Amino acid sequence: MTVSALTRPGERDRLIVKLGEIDWIFCLTVSLIAGAGAVMQFSIAGSSWMPWAAPHLARYAVFFAIMIVLSVIDLRVWFALAYPIYGAAFLLLLAVPIVGHGALGAKRWLMAGPIQVQPSEIMKIGLVLALARFYHGLSGKSAQFSWWLLVPALLIMAPVALVAKQPDLGTAILILATGAIVVILAGLSWRVILAGLLGVVALVPPVVMFALHGYQKARLTTFMNPEADPSGAGYHILQSQIALGSGGLLGKGYGLGSQSQLNFLPEKQTDFIFATLAEEFGFVGCVSILLLYAAVIFMALRTAYLSHSHFGRLAAAGVTATFTLYVLINGSMVMGLAPVVGVPMPLLSYGGTVMLTVMCGFGLVMAVRVHRYSEVTSGKGSLL
Amino acid sequence: MLGIGLLGGWRVAEPHIFFAEVNERQGVFHRRAFVLGGFAGLGLVALGAQLAHLQLIESERYTKLSASNQFNFRLTPPPRGLIVDRNGVVLASNRPNFRLMVAKDKGIDPKQTLKTLAEFVPMDDTRQSRLLREISNAPRKSPVQVMEDMSWEQFSAINIRAPELPGVTADMGEVRVYPYGGAFAHVIGYVAKVTKEDISDTGPNADPILLNPGFRIGRQGVEQAFDLDLRGKPGAQKVEVDANGHEVATDPAGDIKAIPGKEIVLTLDADIQNRAMEVFGEQSGAAVMMDCRTGDILCMYSGPSFDANKFVRGLTAIEYKELAQYDHKPLFNKALTANYPPGSTFKTMVALACLENGYDPSTVHSCGKSWAWGGRVWHCDKAHGALDLKGAIAQSCDIYFYQAALTVGPDKIAAVARQFGLGQEFDIGIPGQKKGLVPDTAYKRRAFPKDPVWHPGETPSMGIGQGYTHLNPLQLCVQCSRLANGRKALHPRLVKSVGGVERPAGASFGDLPFDAKHIDFIRNAMAAVTVSGTAAGLSNMGLGDIKMAGKSGTAQAFNYTAGHGGAHGAQGEWKFRDHAWFIAFAPIDEPRYAVSVLVEHGGFGASTSGPLARELLRVALLKDPEIRATIEHPLPIPEAPKVESDPDVVDPPTPAAQAVQTAQQTTE
Repeated sequence: MTVSALTRPGERDRLIVKLGEIDWIFCLTVSLIAGAGAVMQFSIAGSSWMPWAAPHLARYAVFFAIMIVLSVIDLRVWFALAYPIYGAAFLLLLAVPIVGHGALGAKRWLMAGPIQVQPSEIMKIGLVLALARFYHGLSGKSAQFSWWLLVPALLIMAPVALVAKQPDLGTAILILATGAIVVILAGLSWRVILAGLLGVVALVPPVVMFALHGYQKARLTTFMNPEADPSGAGYHILQSQIALGSGGLLGKGYGLGSQSQLNFLPEKQTDFIFATLAEEFGFVGCVSILLLYAAVIFMALRTAYLSHSHFGRLAAAGVTATFTLYVLINGSMVMGLAPVVGVPMPLLSYGGTVMLTVMCGFGLVMAVRVHRYSEVTSGKGSLL
Repeated sequence: MLGIGLLGGWRVAEPHIFFAEVNERQGVFHRRAFVLGGFAGLGLVALGAQLAHLQLIESERYTKLSASNQFNFRLTPPPRGLIVDRNGVVLASNRPNFRLMVAKDKGIDPKQTLKTLAEFVPMDDTRQSRLLREISNAPRKSPVQVMEDMSWEQFSAINIRAPELPGVTADMGEVRVYPYGGAFAHVIGYVAKVTKEDISDTGPNADPILLNPGFRIGRQGVEQAFDLDLRGKPGAQKVEVDANGHEVATDPAGDIKAIPGKEIVLTLDADIQNRAMEVFGEQSGAAVMMDCRTGDILCMYSGPSFDANKFVRGLTAIEYKELAQYDHKPLFNKALTANYPPGSTFKTMVALACLENGYDPSTVHSCGKSWAWGGRVWHCDKAHGALDLKGAIAQSCDIYFYQAALTVGPDKIAAVARQFGLGQEFDIGIPGQKKGLVPDTAYKRRAFPKDPVWHPGETPSMGIGQGYTHLNPLQLCVQCSRLANGRKALHPRLVKSVGGVERPAGASFGDLPFDAKHIDFIRNAMAAVTVSGTAAGLSNMGLGDIKMAGKSGTAQAFNYTAGHGGAHGAQGEWKFRDHAWFIAFAPIDEPRYAVSVLVEHGGFGASTSGPLARELLRVALLKDPEIRATIEHPLPIPEAPKVESDPDVVDPPTPAAQAVQTAQQTTE
């Protein structure tokens, strides 16, 4: 089968052709990371499949299948569903404060029978799709700077405001950053970007002073000086750094990380799984995992590069941005470079919600790849 | 349109290819994706750099922090040093003690824990509520001892259930034990729980071992004075803990051994001390015995005593009240603190002061039971008739000594008395001596600003050891042993060695600045006391040739006015009776042991304290190997004077002779 097959309508719609076009090396890399997660979860459970490693793998298997299914869905279907998905996510976000569930004063999810739905996660994909669709129909000139930009601004800020209100500052920032990246990739004027950056910098102090919740402020001050209160708020950062640092070059050995095995490390199976890995496998293990992440990011971005449609480009790049932000934020947090925010390490951390988001996103990326020669209409007349 | 079409029939309309769209938008996207991808790469590189910083450069520091997270050192208390007597008999040691401890921690309800524990060990409600208070006052995770001296059954029953009882530990500690109970209580003291006041921020008591549950600190006597020597250095047990401080494993290789406390050897002799306790019974008083060649204290008993073991356990309020309110004052070490006028024992000092100042010992005064001088009448117990100095000592004639004292005056008497250790404090290693007083004119000037003159009328009282003079049994023993030694200004030594390091012997002090002939004179006079004087008959110790010399003293206890005969003696209410003193040494010719005995409100010295002194000396002599040798293998009877007694008439064996025979039999 040749690439030219993809340019031939009819031929390229055959399922076998589509499956062949999936980037299986990408899938392998993603699976390696998820597998590493299972390996670590097996270790910190005291060499036990339960309670984390087995569910992690089972979940990954299901989500992997979902990813494959999503990747063969025609890009035009994605295109058509972009706004409906965004709209549904937005409605669910609106419903959260009313009928939502949560813990510690924050309402973050909805219950659909036994299934826990976190609308902010759907919104991560929904926003990327909506922005991609919007810019697909927008001229390059308008994307630079025009009144049209009010639409993406609204598309971004509305869910960000709702998520921040939950409150889930970490996810809000993640959605905001993802949206901003898509807008930038779509060709926002550099002057506007610069002005926006200056605006953000100027906004940080008043937001920190007035708009943050007490615990959010505490996290920030703790981040600035974790040694000030080693057993209190600085505990997480300090213990995580101890776990990392004591790993050394080659680590303490599999199953021998005292920081994680003896519970000094908080959230060891979720947000701080990377510290666990760092402790047991050392610098070598950490760099290996980071290289896997880098490979995933590179391959996903390359997919965006290859796409012939603006929608596909922006969608794939948006998903890549979300994934990259996850990795960088969690990495910085674990290494003491950023305040503790509840952002897991995608695929490595235990937990279904983020994994589902990431795998759906990768389904979209693969769909972009499989349908990279697909022609997506400008969309004129449908909405814009 | 297209979207709706797709949703409708999933039929994908054939789109036209517009490669013309490889346009500005795509170019912008490619450039920007490249830039942002570069940022992502930079971000990952930054993470890698931070990893390298933490894991390669600062790894050592974090490894240490991790280890200090992972391992705790749990202090292991050192075994407290033994206290033994001069022959190695153990006077204070440690015995195993099964203890039960409860710690406060997250998620533990101490009240419920105690309730559960009460099913295994006796613990009534009041005790439970007291312990609950103690536990809630203690810092988190620091265990509080709730029970000790559990039986093996209780210990193992709780140990088996320990996993279901969080915060509860049952372990084997050590607790101090005093095998002789009361006999050594005042000298050795006892150990008791550490109080908040004991713990200081600095110094030796900042030692964290003090916070160990069940740790005890020395109180009183040797236990207090040598607490740091006896305490030793705590060891540490390396334990692996999790983030909640729960023990996961121990690492015996990482343990640091505790250094046991030093052993303290006392100069005391357990046999003499125990005998002192026996012979005192409920009598209130003290006995001190010294080896008058070395200064070693062989016996220092204060009676009645108390069981030091009860103090280790902790007294109940009732027990303490009983001890504190008993008029025989068992809590005081009377050997060091019971300061009384020395009575007639002081006449030895007056006589020596006279001799040293050129007094002719053959000077005779006549005693007619009363003597008028200085505008008042001075009394004696009876009319002794004409006496010289030796006779006056032997008969303890007050009237003679009123006049003798007047001849030399208070200052010279005081100077001699002080040379014999009276009114002095000695470094015997344990605290709590009361110095007492040997008065002189300087004292009078100092202490009585309103009446700074030594009145001549005060001298006669001093001459018979009354008045201002107040001395303790230790001082009288030193006085007696210096007299018996005759040459050396012996100092008492109570602690022979600490951790194998010998303490300076009491015999290493200077010579007495007195004419040896004069001291001999006093010794001879003291020999006369027990042969024919006030304590006639006491010289015979039932040890054949080995005899005892001594001097009795009777100190008026109550409402004393000089020369007043008054209602004193051995009659009347206990607390109004006189204090009975006796000082003695033996053997007379080559003195080895000197003793002083005080019986508070005991009546006459010669009859109450004298026999006690003799008994203690007897025990000491019988334990002395050289003395035993002479008793068991007597020298051949000298040929010369053939005793003209009927060989058929055999005296019935006296109890004393029997004792010697028994002693011989037991050694053979």
